[in-house]
Amino acid sequence: MALRVDYIAKETGNNLIRNPSLTIATVLTVALSLSLLGAALLLQRGVDGLNTRFKDDIEFIVWVQPDAAQEQIDLVQRSLDESSSVSDYRFVNREETFTEFREFWADSPEVIDAVGPDELPTSFRVVPVVPDLALVQALGSEFEDLPGVLKVDFASEYIKQLNDFTNVASRVMIGAAIASALASSMLMYNTIRTALFARRREVEVMRLVGASNTFIRIPFMLEGLMQGLFGAAFSVLSVFALNRALRGLIEKTDFQLLDSFALPSGDLWQISIWLLVAGTLIGFIGSGIAVSRYLDA
Amino acid sequence: MIKLENVTKEYPGHSVALKEADADIAKGEFVFLVGPSGSGKSTFLRLINKQEDPDDGRIFVAGKDIGQLSSWKVPMLRRNIGSVFQDFKLLPNKTVGENVSFALEVIGRPKNVIKTQVPAICELVGLGDKVDKYPHQLSGGEQQRVSIARAFVNRPLILLADEPTGNLDPQTAIGIMRLLDRINKTGTTVVMATHDRGIVDTMRRRVIELADGLIVRDQAQGVYE
Ligand SMILES: Nc1ncnc2c1ncn2[C@@H]1O[C@H](COP(=O)(O)OP(=O)(O)OP(=O)(O)O)[C@@H](O)[C@H]1O
Ligand SMILES: [Mg+2]
Repeated sequence: MALRVDYIAKETGNNLIRNPSLTIATVLTVALSLSLLGAALLLQRGVDGLNTRFKDDIEFIVWVQPDAAQEQIDLVQRSLDESSSVSDYRFVNREETFTEFREFWADSPEVIDAVGPDELPTSFRVVPVVPDLALVQALGSEFEDLPGVLKVDFASEYIKQLNDFTNVASRVMIGAAIASALASSMLMYNTIRTALFARRREVEVMRLVGASNTFIRIPFMLEGLMQGLFGAAFSVLSVFALNRALRGLIEKTDFQLLDSFALPSGDLWQISIWLLVAGTLIGFIGSGIAVSRYLDA
Repeated sequence: MIKLENVTKEYPGHSVALKEADADIAKGEFVFLVGPSGSGKSTFLRLINKQEDPDDGRIFVAGKDIGQLSSWKVPMLRRNIGSVFQDFKLLPNKTVGENVSFALEVIGRPKNVIKTQVPAICELVGLGDKVDKYPHQLSGGEQQRVSIARAFVNRPLILLADEPTGNLDPQTAIGIMRLLDRINKTGTTVVMATHDRGIVDTMRRRVIELADGLIVRDQAQGVYE
């Protein structure tokens, strides 16, 4: 049988515009659920990037009291030298710390004016042999009790906190995305059912004159597919917009750690492909169920 | 052309609509199905184009047991069976010509075939000048002609008509019967359910009478009762 492309295109188009409010509602719910999914994927990618970036970076910082005696600093240094768990360390002296401090507070000259170099602690930036969080924490606390040590900061702890937060956030978002994907599938089902009902006369005639089941179904399946795809296209736009907003935000805060949350466009396109696939699936499943429920009699 | 062997059809929750029916209709025959309301005439017709399946017995169309037909072949069966109804079943938003071409479009007939067949068949049913009218602009008799044109445009072997004159006045009904007779003369087998005594008695064709789902009479050149 010759597949009449013009007929199918016309019928699908008619179906889509027959009930504009329903079509728009369906497209928007698909867009919403896929935007959520896209945001979750965006976050996930960000966390992945963060983890790879900080895997073998500074793992903890031993801050030395500003008024510590040189012997105390030497002791800390000796302990670091002797520890078999420390792979590398670097001493950041007063001037360097002050430079960093000035950069960090560049927007608030009054803070810089209030603090002199003598009041700032020096520090050791320590890279442990094994970048395992628990081991690093145990190692770090060994230095905490040395005389002259102000405190030990774990960079990894911030990362872990950020990690935990984003994991929870992305899980919540994926949950919401699944729930709203289900909702949009159901809405899709209803939309296609409505289209089938609106066209019941045509369908009846088509059956009587011997149109094939495939032929009768294609316009309805395509209608669902198109709505899914349109919704997915919207969500792709919103993912790009979200990423752009994030990038702007990160650049403004100047917080290096968050850099990995502004994704390169390659990653964005990858996410987009997933969203388009998901949209197609939602359309396919929703319309498929409706069509087989109401046409297989 | 159509053969029923011991066919029984029961609708769930209802009494039996057709009981152990046997009938053999040859190619080119014209058969009236008569009987009171609810006697099973429509059921008889719906079994032939597989709108319903029998609970028991076998039905042959053109020598093939349609009970053995896989579901994807049912459309092929229906392409060989035209159907006409009391309520015409025309699509209100399509013109006469579009209603007729719809039947060819949806079975994938090529455009050039449609272009030549549709005007020809509209001419045949006497609506050559009304091709661009919409159903609501036509009289009942004209609408029935459109539905006959649609049923016949693919040149089916069989034409099933379920009370095609049920909504028409006697004069218009005669016109429709002339048309069906003409179609029958081209070799198409026609099976028509009707309550119209006058038509049956005038045309004197084979009559199958049903009562409570039973075939109670099968008479060549018969009358209404
Ligand atoms: N789809 C259905 N579901 C349940 N019962 C049905 C269905 N169609 C028909 N029946 C029952 O089957 C019996 C035969 O119905 P059918 O429509 O074949 O009668 P008919 O001879 O065509 O009647 P009429 O002259 O009124 O058109 C009736 O009792 C009817 O109520
Ligand atoms: Mg009936």
